[in-house]
Amino acid sequence: MPPRTSAILFEAAAPVPFALGWHWQRQLQARLLAEPGGPEALLMLQHEPCYTLGRGASNAHLGFDAAAPPLPLFRIDRGGEVTHHAPGQLVLYPVLDLQRHGADLHLYLRQLEGVVIDLLAEFGLVAERCAGFTGVWLEGRKLAAIGVGARRWISQHGLALNVNCSLEGFEAIVPCGLADRPVGRLSDWLPGITPQQLQAPLLAAFCRRFALELRPATIAETLPDWHQALDPDQPRQ
Amino acid sequence: MPALSSTMTEGKIVEWLKKPGDKVERGESVLVVESDKADMDVESFNEGYLAVVLMPAGGTAPVGETIGLIVENEAEIAAAAAQAPAAPAAAAPATPAPAPAAVAPAPVAAAVTPVRPAPVAAVIPAGAASSPAAAAGRIIASPRARKLATQLGVALEALRGSGPNGRIQAEDVEKAAGQPVSIPRIAEGSGPALAAANGNGASAAAAAPAGQAFGRAGEAVPFNTLQNAVNRNMLASLAVPCFRVGYTITTTKLDALYKQVKSKGVTMTALLAKAVAVTLARHPQVNAATSADGSAMAYPAAVNVAVAVAMEDGGLITPVLADADRTDIYSLARNWADLVSRARSKQLKPEEYSTGTFTLSNLGMFGVDRFDAILPPGTGAILAVAASRPTVVAGKDGSIRVANQMQVNLTCDHRTVYGAHAAAFLKDLALLIETNPDSLVL
Repeated sequence: MPPRTSAILFEAAAPVPFALGWHWQRQLQARLLAEPGGPEALLMLQHEPCYTLGRGASNAHLGFDAAAPPLPLFRIDRGGEVTHHAPGQLVLYPVLDLQRHGADLHLYLRQLEGVVIDLLAEFGLVAERCAGFTGVWLEGRKLAAIGVGARRWISQHGLALNVNCSLEGFEAIVPCGLADRPVGRLSDWLPGITPQQLQAPLLAAFCRRFALELRPATIAETLPDWHQALDPDQPRQ
Repeated sequence: MPALSSTMTEGKIVEWLKKPGDKVERGESVLVVESDKADMDVESFNEGYLAVVLMPAGGTAPVGETIGLIVENEAEIAAAAAQAPAAPAAAAPATPAPAPAAVAPAPVAAAVTPVRPAPVAAVIPAGAASSPAAAAGRIIASPRARKLATQLGVALEALRGSGPNGRIQAEDVEKAAGQPVSIPRIAEGSGPALAAANGNGASAAAAAPAGQAFGRAGEAVPFNTLQNAVNRNMLASLAVPCFRVGYTITTTKLDALYKQVKSKGVTMTALLAKAVAVTLARHPQVNAATSADGSAMAYPAAVNVAVAVAMEDGGLITPVLADADRTDIYSLARNWADLVSRARSKQLKPEEYSTGTFTLSNLGMFGVDRFDAILPPGTGAILAVAASRPTVVAGKDGSIRVANQMQVNLTCDHRTVYGAHAAAFLKDLALLIETNPDSLVL
């Protein structure tokens, strides 16, 4: 096994507005672009409710007027169609230099699917890929949505796993542009499961696939406005 | 259209970030390409001006297709724009070359060279000073670049060299081929020979999955990048005068040895590679190859045994066990395991799959009793290894016994390797495997 290299883990304890999470990713991407040998990073969080569209996405899959969306709507620099984020959905944004991981975008997508498949296998669930429909599927329902963007092979965006979120927000859209394929959430198979319980095993599964080990950020590596990711009920130093 | 994945056959242009006429800095994003659920910003390798957009946003282009032209200075924009539609896709580096006063009055005509659109980088820098490599009418390229260009099907005339005085380097060819990784060089293949040795291979055959297909009935599925690379190499072999020599080798002792060392992580592939390498060291003619221009026999400095590995998604790759004759069997086995795992995750460096001096292709694990292999370009011979199986063997004295035997079949380039060389090599290989396999693990 190749030696593992260390990546910085940023793990948010409170739901983060989409714009802030996106800003953080771009910060991390810019750091890696500026310092090509620098550390990779993982951002794990949940988002406040919102919709996002890939750069090439069609508005036809929105069940509402894009000018007056029911929730904040963002058109962002990733591939894929519309999706929905909400608390109860675990989001993982790896900011990796994909040249260190095969320099192959499709391989990267398959690896991200593999991470979720590995994770669910630990819980006794046999999830699968569906050729031509990127994402992770369980009994015909899509549990994890995947979409990435890269600049000079530095990735952003990543995967969103529905854990115990409300699926209501998906009703207003055609998720990923797939009309006949329903969205699911893990709590329908594993009653009582929470995102918090999945964070550590998801990170572990990711690190196995990508031969990484995680470390916390140094002071110099802290992200701007990171305090917004801290648990409001916990006392702060 | 750049290849962003070995399995990418086409890409959708999501957005042009620059308009024709816009200035483009080196390293600046020019457009966004989408493939599957991944977007990638594509950057210009050079400073210049975007002259022409040949494929508008929303359009889909096959990998390697020219989608736009970048020229070096503003004055060339009009010329490039005028030329572009006339020579649409094939215009590859349709260098709208306002001749750099320096050389020859030709370049404008040269610009129309009907260059095959090899999988060239996305936005082709077309610029005045850009083709000095071809300037004097002959191409200045390193030998390795020439070899790679043949292997990858890249037209050297079309390239701009990054070396001194515009010399085309190997990396320029690799870049033009849009292949950051994995170019295989040979034709036959299979997974590592983990189960080759024992018995008739029935158990291994039973464990094999149902036959693989890349498409469904009624479909026509385009070759992926890797498959295309293999295709090019196979076709190149048609220009080589090949012949084949077979040999039956008794493996009873080798199989017994394998059983002993299996628990130490030694695979049959490692044992076979070692046996071949040790024999090659004493048969340099079989390790040699005809030079690219066909003028000489080239004798490599080392014995590097490449072993063919099929890729799950099609195509194959030939990771190389370098200096296999001088590496101990345990290191060889470890190196092999590492190479295979990185090959499957597409993380091999070019020197790890392109420096073989001899190739081994093993289908023994499927119970195959004989086959022959296609010679990889740039080498002199490849050995096809079939399954070892219990066979009734008659001795010269009329005795009858049962022994494990396998058939091997050597494909050679007759320009360098003659029948007598091949036969002597196989005889020594058989002798080593039949009488002294223990020496392989010393």
